[in-house]
Amino acid sequence: MFNNYGASYQEQRMQQLMEQKQMRDFMRMYTTLVARCFDDCVSDFTSNTLNDRELTCTNRCTLKNMKLNERIGQRFAEESAKLMEDQAKMAQ
Amino acid sequence: LAAAEQEMEMVTDMFARINDLCYKKCLLQRYNDEELTKAESVCADRCVAKYFQVNREVSDKLAKYSQANQ
Repeated sequence: MFNNYGASYQEQRMQQLMEQKQMRDFMRMYTTLVARCFDDCVSDFTSNTLNDRELTCTNRCTLKNMKLNERIGQRFAEESAKLMEDQAKMAQ
Repeated sequence: LAAAEQEMEMVTDMFARINDLCYKKCLLQRYNDEELTKAESVCADRCVAKYFQVNREVSDKLAKYSQANQ
């Protein structure tokens, strides 16, 4: 019954889902990062604006976490590939 | 389609967990610098590797346990 739609509909739908998912993932990463850097950098509430130390910390935090995210991403891809390879071998 | 979507969600979830855990375990000095130190980089590599190893161990044990209890 699903085949009435044909492969191209499924492809399109998949594409759409992937885009929506990427948006969601990006938003999640962004909000996590903000919370993380706030938690790690901000503790002075004698003022309602960030002081110099907090500003510098926030900048470094953002960059550092982005780099960590990249590094983890690379290792994650490698390990995932290994895992799938092992699973494929076991299925044989 | 639904199965593929679910699998993607699982992968994203796993990645988010690894990110959070390895951040907590590896970024100890926050934040003298905007680059990852060598120690932090190596820690991240090992953190990811160990996480996957734990994943395998847990999967294996869980499978054996489930089999034995049927």
